[in-house]
Amino acid sequence: MEPSRDTHATLVDLLDRILDKGLVINADIIISVAGIPLLGVNLRAALAGMETMLKYGVMQAWDEKTRAWEREHWKKNIPPLVEGEEIALKIYGSYYYSKGIYNAWKPGYFYLTNKRLILHRQDFNEITFQIPLEEIKALVMREEAHFVKEKKKQVLYLVDKQDRVYLLSAAETNQLKDAIVQNLETMRLSLEESPILPEFEKVPIDFLTEGEEVTHRGKKVWYLVPASGIQKETWMPGHLYLTDKRLCWWYDFERKLYFDVPVNRIVSVNTEMRKTGGLTSKKEKVLDVAYRFNSAKTIASFSGGEQIDEWAEVLNRFVSGKISEETETCPQCGKPASEKELLEEGCQSCGWVSPRLKKKLAKAALSAE
Amino acid sequence: MESIEARYLYCIVKGNEEITLGNIGIEGSRVYTISYEDLCAVVHNCPPEPYKSEDNEVVKKWVMAHQKVIDTAWEKFGTVLPLGFDTIIKGEEGIAPDENMKKWLKDDYENLRQKLSKLKDRAEFGVQISWDPKIISEGLIETNPELKKLSEEIKSKPKGLAYMYKQKLENLLKKEIEKEADRYFKDFYEKIKKCVDEIKVEKTKKLEENKQMLMNLACLLSKEKSKILGEELEKINNIKGFFVRFTGPWPPYSFV
Repeated sequence: MEPSRDTHATLVDLLDRILDKGLVINADIIISVAGIPLLGVNLRAALAGMETMLKYGVMQAWDEKTRAWEREHWKKNIPPLVEGEEIALKIYGSYYYSKGIYNAWKPGYFYLTNKRLILHRQDFNEITFQIPLEEIKALVMREEAHFVKEKKKQVLYLVDKQDRVYLLSAAETNQLKDAIVQNLETMRLSLEESPILPEFEKVPIDFLTEGEEVTHRGKKVWYLVPASGIQKETWMPGHLYLTDKRLCWWYDFERKLYFDVPVNRIVSVNTEMRKTGGLTSKKEKVLDVAYRFNSAKTIASFSGGEQIDEWAEVLNRFVSGKISEETETCPQCGKPASEKELLEEGCQSCGWVSPRLKKKLAKAALSAE
Repeated sequence: MESIEARYLYCIVKGNEEITLGNIGIEGSRVYTISYEDLCAVVHNCPPEPYKSEDNEVVKKWVMAHQKVIDTAWEKFGTVLPLGFDTIIKGEEGIAPDENMKKWLKDDYENLRQKLSKLKDRAEFGVQISWDPKIISEGLIETNPELKKLSEEIKSKPKGLAYMYKQKLENLLKKEIEKEADRYFKDFYEKIKKCVDEIKVEKTKKLEENKQMLMNLACLLSKEKSKILGEELEKINNIKGFFVRFTGPWPPYSFV
């Protein structure tokens, strides 16, 4: 093996020697550079990577610089205040921003001053939300479902004098509310007692056709999205709306209607306890809405806890008058009969039973044993 | 202006003639010698402040020039005591830098002479031995009965259990690799020691992903003996999974 001193491959070796080693003169006759290798640090760092930089304390200097910058930055980065305005409280929080297709909790720092409530985004030095204190008409605290099912989120509904509603949330929402109330008191302003909250639409209803009106809405409803392509049927979260024309299910994530059916096509509504899959084997109440689609009958399934009964009631009221009138023919013998009868009792003449009913009966028989 | 000037010092050589080596210094400076008795300092004239630059390319050029001067002096005078980059001898009020230099050479004369005689006709060689931990691990699993048994057991275990076994295997492997590294270090050190006059163990460095440096040595030996060392290193380099970097000859930076 031959030793090599190829300049490119051995530059690091050369630097190691030239910058760290060599004869040391312990005398005050040399121009001292705080640590002789200082000069070469950049080059060496580029060649040898972070470790060396740390070794030579470059990072420390860098770190210190960054910190200093950060300190300066923070100092500067409070929302611009007007003369005589003083910050009473600064708290991390967010504000529900909804415009067009954009809906999100926008985070930032709430600054409560003696004049305003401001939500400020430090990174962009931007005021996301602000309201003069005297414009606040009412404050209502509510608990809302958090992303995590078990958790509840404290949401402060702020109503302004124009009856507009803003949703605010803070690290300590109660603290924010109390501070606002306190500030208003010192300003001798009072809030409306037990206000009626105007409806706040978290989901923008822009799917309504002209003259269409929502007649019933509820909390989050899961819809069993039918299989398509390689996608198996899946439960997805969204919101169910009943209008005077249609029953619609709005998919929260994609912000579009995944399901809508004219109300006059709904033929029956049933509820049933069944497993909805997922990790829990707990049964859930499922609402099955049967409707006619291209002369075939299709069933849409929804789940959503207790409110399902309410939905069933509302929808049943809507369709019950029609169902008995709706006549179908028995798929086996062809005898005309009321659809409800066929579905719920089977065919009187030939004894045909729908597969669903068959299942149901089998289940009932099994549990009776 | 002479008095505020300073001397950039490259190296100390044995010799008593004041000569010039040409414009081969940093930034093309004229390099010459300042002598005291039978010692010479190889220098160029510079302002009394260190060389510094943000530009890596510039620094690279300077470093290369520094090395070039030392190499030239080394060739010419046979033995050098190299200095690190940016060693600048300053003048003081009423004392020229040359006087300062000579005073230092005088004060340190014995020490410098001793060092020069020790380094006579010798050069520094860099030896870096690294291995590929993956190849080494594979080899260990084959040869170490405990590891072999464990790795075979994994294959027959269900997924969850296999994971636990894998962790166990990895821990054991880590220990064995450390042992192996110690063993190889001692072995190689002994072998290399026989071929050289002096060894300095340097800190190991981080290498790319699949390589790990086992040892980083600076070795002092005569240039002729480098062939024997090279043969020994060749053997190590031929072991599966091992890599040897052999650099030099360098001026004896690590032995001054």
